[in-house]
Amino acid sequence: MERAPVPPAPPVPRAPLIKNLEFKIGLLLTLTVLLGAAFIAYTLYARGAFQVSHKLILTAEDVEGVSVGMPISFSGFPIGKVSRLHLMEDGKVRIELAIPKEDARWLRKSSVFTLEKALVGGAKIKAHTTNLQDPPLEDGEARPLITGDATKDIPVLIAKVKSILENVDAMTTAGAPINQTLGHVETVTGRMAGDYGLLQGVMGSPEKAQKVVQALDKANTLLTSLNGVSLKVDGVLAKTDSRLFGQDGVMDQAQGAIRNVNALLGDVRESLKKADTILANAQTASADVTKITGNVAEATTDMARLRLEIDDSMRKVNHLINEINKKWPFAREVEIKTP
Amino acid sequence: MPAIINFLTRRGAALLATWRIWRATFGLAGKVVVAALSPAVYNSATRTVVMKQIYFTAVQILVPFTLFAALLSFVLIQIVVGTAAEYGLSDYALEMSVRLLVLEVLPLVTALFVALRSGSAINTEVALMRINNELEALEDSGVDTLRLEFMPRVIGGMLSVLSLTAITSVLALVLAYLAVYGAQPWSLPDFARVMGKVFDGAILTGILLKSLAFGLAVTVIPVAEGLATPKMLFMAPISVLRGMVRLFFVLMFIEVASLAFKYI
Repeated sequence: MERAPVPPAPPVPRAPLIKNLEFKIGLLLTLTVLLGAAFIAYTLYARGAFQVSHKLILTAEDVEGVSVGMPISFSGFPIGKVSRLHLMEDGKVRIELAIPKEDARWLRKSSVFTLEKALVGGAKIKAHTTNLQDPPLEDGEARPLITGDATKDIPVLIAKVKSILENVDAMTTAGAPINQTLGHVETVTGRMAGDYGLLQGVMGSPEKAQKVVQALDKANTLLTSLNGVSLKVDGVLAKTDSRLFGQDGVMDQAQGAIRNVNALLGDVRESLKKADTILANAQTASADVTKITGNVAEATTDMARLRLEIDDSMRKVNHLINEINKKWPFAREVEIKTP
Repeated sequence: MPAIINFLTRRGAALLATWRIWRATFGLAGKVVVAALSPAVYNSATRTVVMKQIYFTAVQILVPFTLFAALLSFVLIQIVVGTAAEYGLSDYALEMSVRLLVLEVLPLVTALFVALRSGSAINTEVALMRINNELEALEDSGVDTLRLEFMPRVIGGMLSVLSLTAITSVLALVLAYLAVYGAQPWSLPDFARVMGKVFDGAILTGILLKSLAFGLAVTVIPVAEGLATPKMLFMAPISVLRGMVRLFFVLMFIEVASLAFKYI
């Protein structure tokens, strides 16, 4: 029996080992090429290949720390960079800066350019513009670069520090005055630790300190007795006070005396007035002496009597004033004048 | 006396072997480059090998490797930015992190990663092909092993290193911007200024050349080492070991040379 011929097996489509191999590889390579091209384009853009830039020339004595590609900053913002550096015939350095057109407006005719060097980090070129209304800086204009260098002062500083250190060294060597002083301080503080503390430190030994303590004790006793004395003085003063200013004291009496004086003075004034009248009478009388000679004797008697009266009053006043002077020894120059 | 002669003979043999393997490596590199530059060698067969090589070297590991590179970049940027701020040198933080990551660390890390993942595999594969006489068989049947087997692997390896370096570097730049300026677009001009300062023509060419050299090294050295394997099975691991050590030294040498070229 003949077997039917086995139909040839249909060709099994071989599944590719890796799915979408071409696509994946294509994607990866395209991505790589795109990234590379984009990056190169970006660096070209970043390096300013597509931007129009102004040229600015700075001249300086010394450009240590300046390099091509270094940024120039305005208010802390980079507005351009160094594009070329070279020495000129006169030994100065010519620095060419490339300032992008849109940043050139920050630089004016009055702008000042400085090169600053710090201790750490590189040098920095800075632009300072005070008046933004000034006419703008032209393309290719030249300006001086002012340099300020913080590191220049370092040698001077080091020399100073050295001399200070030498002084410190002299102070700290054995036998230096400050060391001796410290030794003395140590002795004093050592004594201070004794029974009499600070006193012993100052006096030098406990015996001397003890003497000081005894002296203080004596002074204390003295002060106590002085206190008693002052108490007594107080009593005396209180008594004096009552004598002087109390009821029926010296002051009261003096006041009474002054009142009497006032009354007496009133009397004197009255007597003087009378004398005036009498004198006036005497004048009129003397005009007609002959007429009134008869009255003269009488008048003279009157005058004599008046005189006696006045004298008497004056005596009284004097006596009173003497009395007051005795009791109240302050106003010395008391004078009663007769007219 | 015979001991000395024996010693000298062994030393001489070792030296000659080293010389031979280096000469073979450079010869192979030259041949591969020449082959890669002639358009005639590109046909569907070589293309498939190139694509597979790129797939296994770059596409398969793209996501985890990118994540790892992002983490590494982030940590390094934070350290650089923090340290610079501490010393009052914040102005230089961005420039320094970009120089550190994009110019040095990321290309080297990528090359090391590809070396470990694909270089070792290529070395093993070529060594086994040689031990099993497969290479002779292919040559006998008229297949140009250089064009069909080795050159596509080298091309794939170089493209992979370039891709991974480009992707991780761009990511690192984005991370550096975020770390220094935060998530806001107003500092882009400032960023552009720093980028313009760092990446001039010489530096860009340098990165490209370095990445290409890394790519060449991570594929050519394993192939050359595999081809030099003695036809004994137990020599396969030794071949891989030697290949990897040599590859490591070559990568470091390229890195040091590029640093010296840039900064000295």
